[in-house]
Amino acid sequence: MTAYRLASGGVIDRSNTLGFKFDGRAMKGYAGDTLASALLANDQLLVGRSFKYHRPRGIVTAGPSEPNALVAIGKGAATDPNTRATVAELCAGLDARSQNRWPSLKYDIGALNGLLSPFLSAGFYYKTFMWPAAFWEKVYEPLIRRAAGLGRAVLEHDPHSYEKCWAHCDLLVVGAGPTGLMAALTAGRAGLRVILADEDFRLGGSLLAETTRIDDRPAVDFAEACLAELRALPNITIMPRTTVFGWYDDNVFGALERVQKHVVAPQAKLPVERLWRIVAKRALLATGAEERPLVFGGNDRPGVMMSGAMRTYANRFGVAAGRSVAIFTNGSAGYRTASDLAAHGIEVAAIIDSREAPHDAAPAGVRVIQSASVIDTRGRQRIRGLVVERAGFEETIACDAIGMSGGWNPVIHLACQRGAKPVWSPELNTFLAPDIGKGLVVAGSAAGRYSLGGCLQDGAERAARIAADLGFPSAGNPLPAVGEEVDPSFTALWYAPGARAKAFVDFQNDVDVKDLGLALREGFGHVEHAKRYTTAGMATDQGKLSAVNTTGLLASMQGISPGDVGTITFRPFYTPVAIGALAGTARDERAVPVRKSPLYGWAEKNGATFVDSGLWYRPAYFARHGEKTWRDSTDREVVNVRQHVGLCDVSTLGKIEIFGPDAAEFLNRLYCNPFLKLPVGKARYGLMLREDAMVYDDGTTSRLSPQHFVMTTTTALAGGVMSHMEYCAQVLWPELKVRFSSSTDQWAQMAIAGPKSRLVVQALVEDDVSDKAFPFLSAGVVTLKGGLNARLFRISFSGELAYELAVPAGLGEAVADAIMAEGSAHGICAYGLEAMNVLRIEKGHATHAEFDGRVTPDDAGFGRMVSAQKNDFIGKRLSTRYGLTAADRMQMVGLKPVETDQHIRAGAHLLREGAKASTLNDQGYVSSACHSPTLGHDIALAFLKSGRERYGERVVVWDKLGGSETVAEICHPVFVDPGNTRLRV
Amino acid sequence: MIRTYISHHPLEGRIPLEPGIRAVDHLEVPRRQAIVTVMAADGEETAVAAALSTMSEASLRFVGPGEWLVVSQSETPDGLVRSLSLVLADTAYVLDQSDGRIVLRLSGPNARRILAKGVAIDLHPSAFAIGAASNLLCGHISVNLARTGENEFELIVARSLAESLFDDLRLMGREFDLSIDFSG
Amino acid sequence: MASLIHCPHCGIRPRQEFSIRGDASVTRPAPEASDEAWHDYVHLRSNPRGRHQEHWHHVAGCRRWLVVERDTFTHDVFSVTDGAAVAREGGR
Repeated sequence: MTAYRLASGGVIDRSNTLGFKFDGRAMKGYAGDTLASALLANDQLLVGRSFKYHRPRGIVTAGPSEPNALVAIGKGAATDPNTRATVAELCAGLDARSQNRWPSLKYDIGALNGLLSPFLSAGFYYKTFMWPAAFWEKVYEPLIRRAAGLGRAVLEHDPHSYEKCWAHCDLLVVGAGPTGLMAALTAGRAGLRVILADEDFRLGGSLLAETTRIDDRPAVDFAEACLAELRALPNITIMPRTTVFGWYDDNVFGALERVQKHVVAPQAKLPVERLWRIVAKRALLATGAEERPLVFGGNDRPGVMMSGAMRTYANRFGVAAGRSVAIFTNGSAGYRTASDLAAHGIEVAAIIDSREAPHDAAPAGVRVIQSASVIDTRGRQRIRGLVVERAGFEETIACDAIGMSGGWNPVIHLACQRGAKPVWSPELNTFLAPDIGKGLVVAGSAAGRYSLGGCLQDGAERAARIAADLGFPSAGNPLPAVGEEVDPSFTALWYAPGARAKAFVDFQNDVDVKDLGLALREGFGHVEHAKRYTTAGMATDQGKLSAVNTTGLLASMQGISPGDVGTITFRPFYTPVAIGALAGTARDERAVPVRKSPLYGWAEKNGATFVDSGLWYRPAYFARHGEKTWRDSTDREVVNVRQHVGLCDVSTLGKIEIFGPDAAEFLNRLYCNPFLKLPVGKARYGLMLREDAMVYDDGTTSRLSPQHFVMTTTTALAGGVMSHMEYCAQVLWPELKVRFSSSTDQWAQMAIAGPKSRLVVQALVEDDVSDKAFPFLSAGVVTLKGGLNARLFRISFSGELAYELAVPAGLGEAVADAIMAEGSAHGICAYGLEAMNVLRIEKGHATHAEFDGRVTPDDAGFGRMVSAQKNDFIGKRLSTRYGLTAADRMQMVGLKPVETDQHIRAGAHLLREGAKASTLNDQGYVSSACHSPTLGHDIALAFLKSGRERYGERVVVWDKLGGSETVAEICHPVFVDPGNTRLRV
Repeated sequence: MIRTYISHHPLEGRIPLEPGIRAVDHLEVPRRQAIVTVMAADGEETAVAAALSTMSEASLRFVGPGEWLVVSQSETPDGLVRSLSLVLADTAYVLDQSDGRIVLRLSGPNARRILAKGVAIDLHPSAFAIGAASNLLCGHISVNLARTGENEFELIVARSLAESLFDDLRLMGREFDLSIDFSG
Repeated sequence: MASLIHCPHCGIRPRQEFSIRGDASVTRPAPEASDEAWHDYVHLRSNPRGRHQEHWHHVAGCRRWLVVERDTFTHDVFSVTDGAAVAREGGR
């Protein structure tokens, strides 16, 4: 099809041609291609510009460790930046763009940074731009930010949908190469519940590019046969396109499934990505080994590629990495690549081997240069040649691609994410995972067993051991027979000597050998310091390709073992995960659940405007025709309650039913005021303290029978109070015979308040609700006309004659409708949170605006409620401590502006008249404020030093945020009906 | 004036009046169900468990030590409270929750896969057998989940959160074209 | 992502179902105990690296207070027991 697509070979579907675009150019590939293999086939080797110097960069790998080929895929808001072309599955209509270049990939202005490279050396962030200090924010940083960096984040709303899912298994196998397939098969046959996850869209791992035969058939066919058997087993779940990115406590694994990333027009009913939390009794890591790059002069030019990647492109994708390929190697792997390329008819220009007397066989007619080093490369946007040096003699060899092979790095990332440090193996010249216990076992190449037969055997044996350990006896299955094996040995070469050009260690972050040397000289030689100082091992690839070379170089510069240097820390995530995937479906309006009162429908049809109150949606006010602002509605509602009657939804208050012979004793210890002698049929206001004697919550508790109480809590702390009570009952006083349960959702509860409330309530209730029969603070079960049982409480938050009626939640809306109908003759109105707030401030009732965790009962004016008789209750012992009884504590007072047209806002601070606004002069603060339609001016509740002694004095209400200063008079906090005559009628 | 009050189900606005085509995976919402909290008195836990297991017209859902939800399709809430009070006498406290809880019944071959999108426990029959029940989180919402059949589960949720849980389940079932309807 | 707690009443559950109160080794003093004892109980907590007993509340499950003995560094959980049972044993 194209110049670099081989005539035959590969596991691609040549009958299925896929059209796609790169930087606007139309190209063609085949089903089974990655974006990278298709780009290579189309002679598009140059795919990006480097981070710092904007050097042209090409595809280096054929897998997840790719540092260079980061592209943006998709359009508009659906764009995914920083996608590795080497793992992106090709699909028809795919639209990819290169990044970090301007104006175009070929001619990039940022490449001028390369000329500035002496100033962009390691630590340049910390040194170059230090002076003048003011320049950093305004000049240097924006300049650097524009020039450096990778892809651009999309700022629009992400149109993709995501979801999260749990999975459970006996054994999780990570990686479906030879090791993983054999492990899954062995465990599956033994009857374990197995999950086999692999990030690739086609399973088989290295078998897909393997030329060695297994059981006398091609390795790909062997892989397919394994998969066919696995698919037939009901206890196996195969998860392709799934990257296991993290290993967490208790053997929970995080994995990302790309459900529809390879689909241009995703189906709406499926998520684009699915985040899995996999709970695995055991896990087997079969992630293979990564080929190690060589650090030599000019090693970052487009056309320099891992030798194994060249093999994969040829064998799996039928793509030639070049027409004339040179191999630079320190071990046998380079020779295997040379043989495979030659078998495909690709010219091998030379094999440059750093070793003295290798025993490996080169393909016929290919020149081998031993004890040699590549010191420079030629070419700009593609390699044209290399300069090799041997025993002081230099030679230029023409080639259009260089395959490099520097040994093997087992992929042990997951195994080291929970604190275990990799261990240096002098025999294998690499880092291995330490023994990390039974939960996670490393096998095959990931454990340093590189041979194909070794991988198959290791996978089978380790899985059999896990099966036996979990109590599943496994039949000894014969191992497949492997054809000719290749020797995986190599001689470590951290740095090819004699470099004439920059020798890069980390391609993605533009870190070269000299940067590491500088870091060492300047005292940042510790591997974690060197990472931060040079940026080696940062960004999207987190050192997958570069980390071991970084360690090896730091070690050889100091003449110590790489084991003494160690590695940088491995952390989740192994590869980047979209934040949307972590959120799943919990975003936008579904970010948190919504709670709705049983009277939501009633409020809606009465014109409520709702407000978030924790998880609840509560009516704030009920606007009527002609009312322009919330204040108009609120003022009307307040006046209506004071003059006639109003109905308010109080269903959201917490309701807890308390039973048992010790229920009264339990309440007595929970509240600071006494409850032992509360009579049946009565309600009492209760104040709950924390153990440090500050007010925790308040509410009324009623005794319905000798051993049955019903408590109400504030809406905000309904959950907190329940937990607190459970702690007290279970941990502090397990000897008390008490049980309780929330009934918040069972009841629709309505406050009917105002001078005409009795008329309305009596119209619905069979029982006598007169002041004589049902006086203030009565509580009990009543019967509604028609026979429905309900609970009625004579309590008042507004200060007016008031009742609270509770009916089973399903009937709430119908009963509220009936109240509105009966009340219409008496001028009833629905009132919301805003009006309720004004009514309670006018009455001087405290809420959590006042009880903010710093307030004692005495501060709020409840000093006399605290029982001196009780031996013990929560908060008693610390309520008398020094400081809580001091005379200058802030006490709750009322405030009213001296000029009645002036305003007071909550949050303002209080100063003596003429005092400068300072922390030292602070006298207190306003906790609640509102306009009182009853009085015709603003009022406020405030906490003021020695406040109760200062009624009649003036203070300045200093509101820095609002930009106002108001002179106010200090007064008693009860503005309306201080004698409580209205609620006791 | 004598009034009769008509009960309202919180999902009335969410479930279409005309039932659509029933898919293999189905979410059924009973309009009315008697649900009662039973809390054993101190030291009576075993006796109460034994007494409850003899009740034929109701099924038992474990909540916590000495605490259960008793669910009945055939009894009225008052009837269930009465019969429980009779059976349990002074050994337990009985609290009607019929209006405070909503039941959602999920069934079908993909029921487990749908639930796994919100529920962290292992739903394999070897780990969560028929008859098992437990309080747990489904997404962000606390529910009581019971396995009532091989491929049948019941979720009991607080009434105020029913709409949110219902919306969650519908989203979780979208992949399998989950159908929904009232029953009873 | 997750960690798992083996609730003695509900089985294996994710951390998200619990809320953590802190040190479970402190005991509420008698009302007549010294100021120091009360001060310590209300205000002072040790923050050990290693084995630690904590109160975890199974908020979204059985709603029992549990005593979780775990390693604060490795999060190895050694035991999970019902808080009331522990309190009764402590003779409180």
